[in-house]
Amino acid sequence: MNDFDLVRKNLFRRKLRAILMIVSILVAFMIFGVLAGFYRAFNAGEDRAAADRMMVVNKINFTQPLPIAYYNRVRAVEGVRQVTHANWFGGYYQDPKNIIISLAIEPASYFDIYRSEVDLAPEALQAFVRDRGSAVIGESLAAKHGWKVGDRVPLQSNIFSQKSGGHTWDFTIAGIVKGKAEHVDTNFLLFQYNYFDETRSFGKDTIGWLILQTTAPENNDRVAKTIDAMFANSSAETSTDTEKAFGKAFAAQFGNIALIVTLVVGAAFVTILMIVGNTMALSIRERTREIGVLKTLGFSGPRILGMVLGESILLALLGGLPGLAAAALIAIALRNSLANVAPAFSVSSEIVLQGIGLMLALGLITGLIPAVNAMRLKIAAALGRG
Amino acid sequence: MGSLWRQVAAVTSINLRSISQRRWLSLSTVIAIALVVVVLLAFLAMANGFQRTIAGAGADDIAIVLRAGSQAEINSTVSRDQVRLIEDGPGIARGPDGKPLISPELYLVVDGVKRSTKTKANLPLRGIGEQGANLRKGIAITEGRMFGGGANEIVVGKSLLREFEGLDLGSTVSFGTTRWTVVGVFDAGGSVFESEIWADLPVVQSLFNRNNIFQTVRVRLTGPAALNELKSYSDNDPRLKLDVKSEATYFAEQASQTSDLIQKLGWPLAIAMAFGALAGALNTMYSSVAARATEIATLRAIGFGGFPAFVGTLVESLLLAAIGGLLGAAATYLIFDGITASTLGGNFTQVVFDFKLSPALIAEGVLLALLVGLIGGLFPAIRAARLPIVSGLYAN
Repeated sequence: MNDFDLVRKNLFRRKLRAILMIVSILVAFMIFGVLAGFYRAFNAGEDRAAADRMMVVNKINFTQPLPIAYYNRVRAVEGVRQVTHANWFGGYYQDPKNIIISLAIEPASYFDIYRSEVDLAPEALQAFVRDRGSAVIGESLAAKHGWKVGDRVPLQSNIFSQKSGGHTWDFTIAGIVKGKAEHVDTNFLLFQYNYFDETRSFGKDTIGWLILQTTAPENNDRVAKTIDAMFANSSAETSTDTEKAFGKAFAAQFGNIALIVTLVVGAAFVTILMIVGNTMALSIRERTREIGVLKTLGFSGPRILGMVLGESILLALLGGLPGLAAAALIAIALRNSLANVAPAFSVSSEIVLQGIGLMLALGLITGLIPAVNAMRLKIAAALGRG
Repeated sequence: MGSLWRQVAAVTSINLRSISQRRWLSLSTVIAIALVVVVLLAFLAMANGFQRTIAGAGADDIAIVLRAGSQAEINSTVSRDQVRLIEDGPGIARGPDGKPLISPELYLVVDGVKRSTKTKANLPLRGIGEQGANLRKGIAITEGRMFGGGANEIVVGKSLLREFEGLDLGSTVSFGTTRWTVVGVFDAGGSVFESEIWADLPVVQSLFNRNNIFQTVRVRLTGPAALNELKSYSDNDPRLKLDVKSEATYFAEQASQTSDLIQKLGWPLAIAMAFGALAGALNTMYSSVAARATEIATLRAIGFGGFPAFVGTLVESLLLAAIGGLLGAAATYLIFDGITASTLGGNFTQVVFDFKLSPALIAEGVLLALLVGLIGGLFPAIRAARLPIVSGLYAN
């Protein structure tokens, strides 16, 4: 029998107590895994935004339109490699609650700017450009509704109406857009701006925002200043910022998600720390005599210290690892329903590493005082007690 | 029977007096349960505060007219011709001068800067008609005055002023190239309107290049029953075909999405944490039974029944849970009640609201705590009742 066997046997000497502790730790790490995964996914756009991509929006607010003429004027600015534009359509399918993220775009430049994230087969892009009334959809949207190339999809807008009356646009699916990495959200529909601009009853010749790529991230500041100065004092002033800063500011509008996540995870951990810490102390106190016997047999103080700490760390790992596994399963189960808020919601390897670090910390903190007490225990006092 | 209750009372009092021997374990259970209750009640107070702010704004005798399918004011568009047709509609109350009490409105989003984070956020700028303020309940200008007709002047809601900077009375604000002066601050009884900026409709239309475009029309009805008259008038005229809703219904729909979401986050989190606390409670109570094994066996040996031992353990557990629950509710009240937060609402603009606890919510929290105490005490109590006398006497 080596020390590890002894640690294991000690931990499970009171089976029910050990199982209760494990459940309690499991819950804490499940909460940690789910919330950390959600927080990361929620901020994914901000973290992964390309450094050389910028957004040009109306200075009043990004929901205010810009003139389409800005597209060509920004294209001519030095340091700009590519520009594209987009307009929010406010689309829904059948029921107003069934919102579909849908944008009116300029196909060639749009797919060029986002080439590192999404992939549309060249034939599909050609078919999309050729048929003005067509649309391309992301693979997760296609999977959600079972739509395939060639299907006709009637999309209604909660904002725009057709010149002919009515709020419905019929689109033929020309292609499916694939994400190039797991974190890319493909829950969207894109259709041609030219067709949109001709058919809508108001807002002609305006766009929602511009997306541009600079020749190098070092040029970002200069490009932003040039563009904003170019449109200063016009009827539509602009505000140009990196996609990352824009995403960050938008996420912040929902409230302080980071603070809420930290508070809840903190509350869960304080709870578990107290329960496990007290139980460890109790369980070592109950074994005072035994520790005295081990010392009599020649077990050194540090070795006893190691065994007690080993027991509390083993407990933390036995609860924590299944807790993270449970969190990963929950993330998979919720991934589709949270696709709009937190795309690619998952418990990443980084979170698992953080979790393991927390487990070790939990084991050390809860085991430390009982372990030190056990190490310092005098044999005579230990054997005399109880 | 009397003797049984005396036994129960005696054993229970022994149980409760022995808590101090397990003070750290008992205290950790109390705090664990308290934290569960704090997490639950913080989320419920947030959902409740948001709900009250929005749903509290709606009246039954005000109708709101939107483009069909638009769901929120920000998406809606209504033409001048449609506004005229609505003015002539049935069921609309009229002022002393015989004019219909209606307010065509334009709802725009402008950038503001949040005081706490210094980040940009979406604020609503509403162009309202002459009757706009009168068509909302409890509007009072608390500082300054109402905006003047035809002037670049705005009035700002009290909650908005508290959370966002640069909108103080007398200051000049620019939205794009247009400049506005803040001439007044209004109170709307804490409702969602206090998160808005108001200005004169024709001025907003012209400065934002939206001449002759309206988004919604607010109408004072002759009574709540007149809503259906106006609805069928709109449905039967092909030039209208607009959504006509009572303001109360509209705001209830707007509030439910976000407050449901907050509740859907709060409950699963609290329930997961409750399982963690339950493990702690079970552990504490099993320890309590183990510590008193000799005592219980002695009592059984001198003729006490198993039932008093059962009740004693259960009462101890419920008491610890109740203390935890009340402690959690008190902590939530002290820390969270009344704190102000803001988030994006259904109109894609910031809604400023306060966390609001209510007696019903506190009851939910304490009930969850007692449930943890009940389950956490039940199994140990059964063990206490069934403890074999002989082995119990030799337990130590």
